[in-house]
Amino acid sequence: MSDQMTLTSLRAPSPKRIWAPVCRALLLAAPGVTLLCFWQFASGRLIRETYVSKPTEIAWRLIDLFYTGEIWPSLRVTGEELVLSYVIGVLLGLLLGYALGRSPRAASIFEPYVMAFYGIPKIALAPLFVIWFGIGIWSKVMLAGTMVFFLVFYNVFAGVRSVDRDVVNLALVLGANERQLGRQIYLPAAAPFLLLGMRMAIPYAVIGVIVGEFTSSTAGLGLFINYASSTYDPAGVFAGIFILLAFVMGMNALANRLERKLLKWQPTSQRIASEPN
Amino acid sequence: MVISDVGFEVKRGKFVSVIGPSGCGKSTLIQMAAGLLKPSVGMVFHHDREVTSVNRTIGFVPQQAQLLPWKTMIENIEFPLLLRGMTLAERRAKAMEAIKRVDLAGFESHYPYQLSGGMQKRASIARMLVYKPDTILMDEPFGALDAQTRMVMQHDLQTMLATEGASVLFVTHDITEAVLLSDSVVVLSRRPARVIAEIPIDLPRPRDMFEPYATPGFAEAYDRVWSVFRSELNIRRAA
Repeated sequence: MSDQMTLTSLRAPSPKRIWAPVCRALLLAAPGVTLLCFWQFASGRLIRETYVSKPTEIAWRLIDLFYTGEIWPSLRVTGEELVLSYVIGVLLGLLLGYALGRSPRAASIFEPYVMAFYGIPKIALAPLFVIWFGIGIWSKVMLAGTMVFFLVFYNVFAGVRSVDRDVVNLALVLGANERQLGRQIYLPAAAPFLLLGMRMAIPYAVIGVIVGEFTSSTAGLGLFINYASSTYDPAGVFAGIFILLAFVMGMNALANRLERKLLKWQPTSQRIASEPN
Repeated sequence: MVISDVGFEVKRGKFVSVIGPSGCGKSTLIQMAAGLLKPSVGMVFHHDREVTSVNRTIGFVPQQAQLLPWKTMIENIEFPLLLRGMTLAERRAKAMEAIKRVDLAGFESHYPYQLSGGMQKRASIARMLVYKPDTILMDEPFGALDAQTRMVMQHDLQTMLATEGASVLFVTHDITEAVLLSDSVVVLSRRPARVIAEIPIDLPRPRDMFEPYATPGFAEAYDRVWSVFRSELNIRRAA
């Protein structure tokens, strides 16, 4: 058949294929390692150590924090807040984004309002949230959850709205009813947008929770960092930041795997967000 | 107004092409036939029943292949059967049969982006054949294909329909295609569209899609369509 050609698996094993990942990993690590080395060198020589600490000091502090178990209660509280805010924000964002996306009439009424709320800097609400929801985990869950919600909501909304009328018409002619349209057309079409929103929401969940804890709290990693910072303990601050960094990178890796699994139907060049990981 | 005065019928088992200058409302016509658009005046009938909502008993082949990108080729072809609540085993069997008919065996688990334009089109035709509609609407299905692929597809369509016995309403702007495939060609005017001629094509089948002039009588049939069609284009040039 003259018109049939696929370019899926034209792979021949070659020495290049074996070395390429190693080279890539080295290239990826190079800037980070350079930065750490410079930091180590500069600390105490170019900048006073009490300002920036140094990588070896931070590493020892991290080992110490985990070994003595001092950090676990903070981690548990912050982890709870993160998971709760993320799950609640994603679920509500998905539900409302989908509902509003499917009903143009409701969308035309509510969209300006949602847009207006979206524009409010949520961080500025942190003190109010403490008054409304108390000093415990819920003020943080609500603050971070709101940020997650808007990101997921907007992406899902856009995804559902992006579905081509012709595709819907075709599905109708092929026999789809309303429920099948949702399950077979709108949801899969919105999936890449949902995943993009979920990925974008990861750092925002962390920011929301940490800012919430900075504002007022009785426990958590944010409080730990805040305390370290106000007692001139840069090693403690950076140790806390490195834990957050590891968390965000871990979540990102998870998001990547989820995307690869769920979006294998997209050509790689078309994926909305793909970061090396 | 897009369409003003269009009245014609497709007899059972016949292949009718509609041609007309671009933008004359051919796609609008086919969408009305499918029940996706409601004519503001006039009626569409299918098997003597008026079409008032989306017609789920017809087969539809759109301009673009419009395979669902998140489904593999075979899942796309199974799709109409899935919507009809058929079990997986039944769906697979019927889809495999349709895949063999359009000559796509071996590519079942490919996603649409991994298929060429011609293969996507074949899959889109298989998706229509899989539920064996007795009436088929095709909206410039081969317009976006390259010349060679188009000839192959026209040839294959003729072969497939020879055994299917379905009625076909085929929209195109290509006179050669219309003459080669049809039992009858309806020529539309410019917007607002009217039927300006309904020309029967009684060439023997099978017709040679690769060398149209090898079919005896093709040149005369082409001329009859072209002489009517040309008048429409001339008016436009003068205007």
